[in-house]
Amino acid sequence: MIEVKSLTKVFKKPIRGKGVLGMIRTLFSRKYKEIRAVDDVSFDIKEGEIVGYIGSNGAGKSTTIKMMCGILTPTSGQVLIDGKEPYKKRRIVAKEIGVVFGQKTQLWWDIPLIESFKVLKEIYQVSDEDYKTRMEFLSTVLGIDEFLSQPVRTLSLGQRMRADLAASMLHNPKILFLDEPTIGMDVLVKEKIRLAIHALNAKYHTTVVLTTHDMADIEDLCSRIIMIEKGKIIYDGPLKAIKHRFGNIKTLTITVPANIDPLEVAPYSKDVDMSSKDDKVMLRFDADKVKLEDVVQYAFSSYHAIDMKITDISIEDVVKQILVQQEEAKHA
Amino acid sequence: MRYIKLYFTCIKRSILSRLDYKHDAIISILSFLFSNACSLCALYFILQAIPTLKGYSIAEVGFFYGFSMLPIAIDHLFSDEFWLVAYRRVQLGDMDMHFLRPVPVIFQMFAQTFQPDGFGEVIVGIAMIIVCGINLHVTVSFGAIFVLVIGAVFGAIIITSFKIIFSALAFIFKRSGPLLQIIYNFTSYAKYPIAIYPKVIRIILIFVLPFGLFVSLPVDTLLYGTYNPYLLSLCIIGAAIVLFALAVLIWTRCERHYESTGS
Amino acid sequence: MLKKYKPFLRASAMDVMAYKFNILVWVIVTLFEVACLVFLWFAVYQSSEGGIDASINGFTYKEMIAYVVLTTIFGFVTFNNDTLWIINNDIRKGTIGNYLIKPISYRGKFVASNIGALLIMTLIFGIPLYSIGLGVLIGIGFLPIVSVWEFIAHIGLFLVAGVLACLINDTIAYIFGILCFYTTSAWGLNSLKTTIIAFLSGTLLPLAFFPPIFRDIVGYMPFAGLSQNPVLILMMKYDYFESAKVILIALAWLVILELFSKLLFCHAIKKVTVQGG
Repeated sequence: MIEVKSLTKVFKKPIRGKGVLGMIRTLFSRKYKEIRAVDDVSFDIKEGEIVGYIGSNGAGKSTTIKMMCGILTPTSGQVLIDGKEPYKKRRIVAKEIGVVFGQKTQLWWDIPLIESFKVLKEIYQVSDEDYKTRMEFLSTVLGIDEFLSQPVRTLSLGQRMRADLAASMLHNPKILFLDEPTIGMDVLVKEKIRLAIHALNAKYHTTVVLTTHDMADIEDLCSRIIMIEKGKIIYDGPLKAIKHRFGNIKTLTITVPANIDPLEVAPYSKDVDMSSKDDKVMLRFDADKVKLEDVVQYAFSSYHAIDMKITDISIEDVVKQILVQQEEAKHA
Repeated sequence: MRYIKLYFTCIKRSILSRLDYKHDAIISILSFLFSNACSLCALYFILQAIPTLKGYSIAEVGFFYGFSMLPIAIDHLFSDEFWLVAYRRVQLGDMDMHFLRPVPVIFQMFAQTFQPDGFGEVIVGIAMIIVCGINLHVTVSFGAIFVLVIGAVFGAIIITSFKIIFSALAFIFKRSGPLLQIIYNFTSYAKYPIAIYPKVIRIILIFVLPFGLFVSLPVDTLLYGTYNPYLLSLCIIGAAIVLFALAVLIWTRCERHYESTGS
Repeated sequence: MLKKYKPFLRASAMDVMAYKFNILVWVIVTLFEVACLVFLWFAVYQSSEGGIDASINGFTYKEMIAYVVLTTIFGFVTFNNDTLWIINNDIRKGTIGNYLIKPISYRGKFVASNIGALLIMTLIFGIPLYSIGLGVLIGIGFLPIVSVWEFIAHIGLFLVAGVLACLINDTIAYIFGILCFYTTSAWGLNSLKTTIIAFLSGTLLPLAFFPPIFRDIVGYMPFAGLSQNPVLILMMKYDYFESAKVILIALAWLVILELFSKLLFCHAIKKVTVQGG
């Protein structure tokens, strides 16, 4: 369905001179710095897969997605969507893909949502019959009925995202690209959107590629993840494998009344990695090996904790870990 | 056929969103009225200081001026979105959604906005033509009316073509608004009979930036029978078709350079 | 105190640099545009009773051409702001809220940006353009210099009037920008602003061509200081007394408009907080 072959995107960024003299110099000649946003990336995605395309900020996720949708042309390499290059056959590929960018809406700002859908129906040449059945399905799954007559600008972020999802599914695309679909939403709304993505995938067998920052998104949705850092793929495989590799890492952070000296933090067990900063003590451990209960109890008995927080491993942590492991593997 | 239907669907949307903002309509009508009043005042103040402008009376100059508003107004009705393309949308990388749709981008630009403000200009222009025409005791012939209509409609296409060409440059240079503005400002020179300009300028205003071709020459034909109306119409239609084809070609070439913003 | 505005000053100067292509094209096409105006005025003066050497409303043909050329350069160098658009954008996107929290004044940010743009434009384009423009005008005798010292003094006065013009222009843009709180038609507001300024500042036509009463009223409005007055000072059409007078009027207007913008901003902000948007 999607084939990406040694895809590379290099951005040229002008180097601006410093001070007034430098500015005058840039007026006459300009030097560019090359930034390899995506560097020799290859992967295949099969029909019906839900793939999480993840990485830290600025790792090259959006750039890859934009090349896959055809709004950025690769510097070298190739993307094939169903055998066609999207940036060359834009209009043909456009019918086969649906795109939602979390930050920007594709809907018309000032008119009622339903009117936007009617325009899209014409643009994508959806037959009346298909339109009706799809709208029915999408309204149940996404619950957009309640705000169909409201102008888009009055919708909340979560409502807008649901509306955008519906809009991108109206023409029943084979592939759905979702760029940060849950960004800035609260847990309940995130949940709703994840359920909807599952339902769409199940009903239409739509291939979904999504970028996200949220580990929970990935656990809920993706059977496979592709992880990118500094433009290069550092992991491509099932989510289970990576979980197995890192275990069920959790971090317990407790706040103590006064700043604590890092040397004073006594080690508890070799399975718990302890560190401290200012008035916080962090205990990192694998919840499959050490009982959460024990760690909490230990922390509360050893320190005068006034607050506590338990966090799951973040994408940034996973990326860091993978890089460290790769580095170690190289030396060994 | 499909595109005509699609155009009307989109335009309905554009009008719908405009109706949502009543203040805005008032402001744009006000600004339009004011800007026309200012230009007319300026013209009147200058002409008052001299007996005739190279032999053209106030009424004659007014006739030219009024007629020039028609092609400008028609262009205004249909192609307002290109201003945004040239000034901001490409620069902000705000065109993504158009590139994701299975419809030509240039078509989407026309379908994006319909600017009813242009009707005001049409009304003022026609009013000026009628008032000045009566003053001048113009004899109306079919050929003359024909060439005026052709001048207005195909003149609009010529203006639109220039707008397309210079807003398309934004795809390459990120922002072409000021450039487009300057080219567009040349329409204001077409508001006067081109006979008042020296030969070089006249040639430029007919062959290079042909705003004189569809304003001055048709009016000359109506008022003084200078040219054969049908031959002139043919020239205007030909120029419009060639320019529009060129504009679409340039747009589609430049369009490929569109790059969404990086991350 | 003023240091925190420095980034804005720099950023706007950088922006000016980023569009060198547009600026180059501007120079070329403007030459043609000025040529057109020269011929238009030529036709007007030729048609006048006294012929080409006549003086119409106190302007000879030569003076009129000098006026057109200098007004064009002045407008290009001095009026470089996107204030209205930026405010509109901040309102639409809601980012204006961020500025209200930061310890810098929203107005100060624009003043800094515009002074930055004015400085860099003057340095890079203003100096060569004025040198060429004035050089040619003086060379072909369109701008007679009787006393060099007087000319230098007028240049000094012109610089003062020019900075005031830039600031008043920005204040007006700012006021129109705040009006974007009340309407979403930034486009309409901008074109209204542009027209008002072009007409009443004498850019379209020197105010001397206006009917007497109208001319006197407009003369005391802030717009004449935007374009006509600085240029006429440079052309030495105003003596020292008149120059000082128009500069003082401009200064007074700057203060008045600045106060007005402050009041308007307070009112507009209140409207936002009440709506909660």
